[in-house]
Amino acid sequence: MYFTKQLKRIFNEPTLFITLLAIWLLLGVFVIYPIVMVAMTSLKDYDGNFSLNTYKMLFTKVYFRRPLFNSLKLGATVASISAIIGYIFAFAVTRINVPGKRIFTTVATFPIVSPPFVIALAAILLFGRNGIITHDILKDSLKIDIYGFGGLSLVETLAYFPTAFLSLEGILRSINPALEEASLSMGYSKWRTFWKVTFPLSMPGIFSAWLLVFAQSMADFGNPMILSGNYQVLSVAAYLEITGSFNLSTGSGLAILLLIPTIVAFTLQKYWLSKKSYVTITGKPSTMSILEPSKAVKTLFTVVLLIFTAAILMFYGTVFYGSFTKLWGVDHTLSLKNYKFVFDVGLEYIKDTIILAAVATPISGILGMLIAYFVSRKEFPGKRLTEATSLLTFAIPGTVVGIGYLLSFNDRPLMLTGTAAIIVLIFVFRNLPVGVQNGVAALEQIDRSIEEASLDMGASSATTFWKVTLPLITPAFFSGLFFTFVKSMTAISAVIFVVSGSWNLVTVAILGSVENSDLAQAAAYSYVLIFIVVVMMFLLRMLTYRFSYERKIAR
Amino acid sequence: MRKVTLLLLGVLIIATMVISAPVLHMYTALDVNEAKIYIEAFEKATGIKVDWVRMSSGEVVARLTAERNNPRASIWFGGPAVDFIAAKKRGLLEPYKSPNAWSLDLTFKDYDGYWTGFYLGVIGFASNTEQLKELGVEAPTSWQDLLKPEFKGRISVAYPYTSGTSYTILAGLIALMGEDEAFDYYKKLDKQIHHYNKSGSACVTQVGLGEVTVGISFAHDIVKKGVSKGYPVKLTIPKEGTSYEIGAMAVVKGGPEPELAHKFIDWMLTAEAQSLMKNWFRVPLNPDAEVVEGAVRITDVNVIPLDFVYFGNAKDRIIERWKNEIQYGD
Repeated sequence: MYFTKQLKRIFNEPTLFITLLAIWLLLGVFVIYPIVMVAMTSLKDYDGNFSLNTYKMLFTKVYFRRPLFNSLKLGATVASISAIIGYIFAFAVTRINVPGKRIFTTVATFPIVSPPFVIALAAILLFGRNGIITHDILKDSLKIDIYGFGGLSLVETLAYFPTAFLSLEGILRSINPALEEASLSMGYSKWRTFWKVTFPLSMPGIFSAWLLVFAQSMADFGNPMILSGNYQVLSVAAYLEITGSFNLSTGSGLAILLLIPTIVAFTLQKYWLSKKSYVTITGKPSTMSILEPSKAVKTLFTVVLLIFTAAILMFYGTVFYGSFTKLWGVDHTLSLKNYKFVFDVGLEYIKDTIILAAVATPISGILGMLIAYFVSRKEFPGKRLTEATSLLTFAIPGTVVGIGYLLSFNDRPLMLTGTAAIIVLIFVFRNLPVGVQNGVAALEQIDRSIEEASLDMGASSATTFWKVTLPLITPAFFSGLFFTFVKSMTAISAVIFVVSGSWNLVTVAILGSVENSDLAQAAAYSYVLIFIVVVMMFLLRMLTYRFSYERKIAR
Repeated sequence: MRKVTLLLLGVLIIATMVISAPVLHMYTALDVNEAKIYIEAFEKATGIKVDWVRMSSGEVVARLTAERNNPRASIWFGGPAVDFIAAKKRGLLEPYKSPNAWSLDLTFKDYDGYWTGFYLGVIGFASNTEQLKELGVEAPTSWQDLLKPEFKGRISVAYPYTSGTSYTILAGLIALMGEDEAFDYYKKLDKQIHHYNKSGSACVTQVGLGEVTVGISFAHDIVKKGVSKGYPVKLTIPKEGTSYEIGAMAVVKGGPEPELAHKFIDWMLTAEAQSLMKNWFRVPLNPDAEVVEGAVRITDVNVIPLDFVYFGNAKDRIIERWKNEIQYGD
């Protein structure tokens, strides 16, 4: 039997077997179990008996259907606009000779690595009733209400179109320009070539980008928390039910409603679309500017790019400026007062955030690499399942994870509420998919014979992993580390359920300040966070260089 | 690789050292900037370190309920007495009769010592004076004034289930008008409201910034966070009568450091600590403490007599009704 053969092979190497068991145990306890708890809680009534009452209520009462409908509508809107803008950006960068490509690409990645509230915060500073644009420039001539559907769509689009852009850029780069060339040489116009060749080939990419952004918008917590006004969305409704009323079953029910569409979106994106992809990689260098359009179209593209890049810069600039104002909205004299506040009151938060993220980062990185190693190098039963599980947290909205952890680790045997461990665990497992994916990608580029050589010479699997495989995938490992660190520093949706007096986070403090409308304080907090992230980026870059340099010497 | 491991180990050691230092764990519903004043003074006076989280008082109750079997905090500091009564009913608190509470009027503390009051506050309206001028209306001076068409979509207040302030407002309206009438009134008020906040005092800055024109909150918060900061904010008190709170503190049942919690309560009742409240325009309960100019005393305004015990016990039911009829009603 194939199965028993696999089992036997794994039994022969006890270290390997034990590591695998440990991975399964960890994934089971910290990924699967919390989700199961959320589902189970939503199926219980007040006294803990099985009942479908929660769902009956969720679907019969307008007041729970509304957040679901609102979230779906917002997600679809943001995803559609983001896909269009992302495509324009990607097309401009890969197919047209627009000037300043680098700058556009760099600026577009700001929202990906920055704290979640910066854009929402800027939206209030700019477009609030007393905002720079609405009040000071337009003199209230336009009735703009930034709170609600419109404002949220704007803010989430700016925050998430970069995701669409980056994924579409990859897709467009991998479409072989030879196909377009062929079409052109057969006499089709550039316009027709675009519609008949380039566009259909990028369709799966567009769908995929749409689904990614849709899921991100559905799961978004920070922006709607600040800007939704009376436009209730699922993530916020679930949060309020749980933290405001301790209504565990309704909150869990809402969380499940949130979970289903996001999981479906991710599964479609990962398993259906990636198979349908019409990517035509040939290894030939792609020639640029083959579809160089007329001057007018090119100008149009440049203008769109400029508008969005300028918008992002303006949003970040406003928050930067706001962080130095004495009292936002009243006294705009510049001062360092807010930064003093951040270091007075917020120092604990900053320290906690850095410590927790620093502890979680290497753990997540190493665990991710281990799983990647097993998945791409070893044969064992349940391999696909292991991989899918390790990638699962990516698809699950933070709100659901947070509720799951709150429900699961509040009691014996794993009493973790209030400890540093629970926050670290959330960081580790939420960011695990990045480590795994990076690891798998890196491992697939390394010839197996190198490892086989080590094994043949008598080294165990463990030694081979530590001495041969790991050094070879160091760059991938470090880029995973950076991502994990950044995402941990800026996380909010899951951790907000488990922060405590002993361990609190900067993002939670920012949310508190914004809720209190202490906008300048929030702005200062955000920039301190951004500063730390940038410093870490440089440090990790340096580390990566050092490691690869040493590798070269050793060779 | 060894270096990374060493680094990791170092971080872990530091982390455990931070955990093992003896501290008082606190949840507070006071504003972050205010809580800091008392906590720092307490730390200085006693040498006890305080680890604290700010939450709205509804959130504190939810958190204490969630952690019932494994309480992480020893003291709940600040928030209206009604919420403490609701928490007492749920069995989340532990009695403690502070020797310093003797001077307090019996109505300012729980008979069995489950909670102890430390200040008094009344509800008022915060209005943005510039916008009032633009709209051509006077600042609201009655609950009915809030229903004026000019204020449509220009009022903010907090959710009564997350915020103690907001539940105090709802309870006051019920005491003033009767429950059904109060809900009828709230339905009309709901149409005027721009959005709900999580925390009661959040609306003050929003009024100051002009995000909304009118906010309903405690007078001391309006004075401190609005007027005294230099925002164009005016405080008015509803003339039909207004709601009030006894700000309270309590020991959490089964919390990790009860003795430290007792020390905090004792200290907070001293004239020295109570005088610090002048920084926030609160009215202290210790008769020997200073009262600052600009603080609104309960004797200065028309207050609605409130049965705190009734409203504490009825909270779950009233909130359920509010959610059904107001937040998600049509």
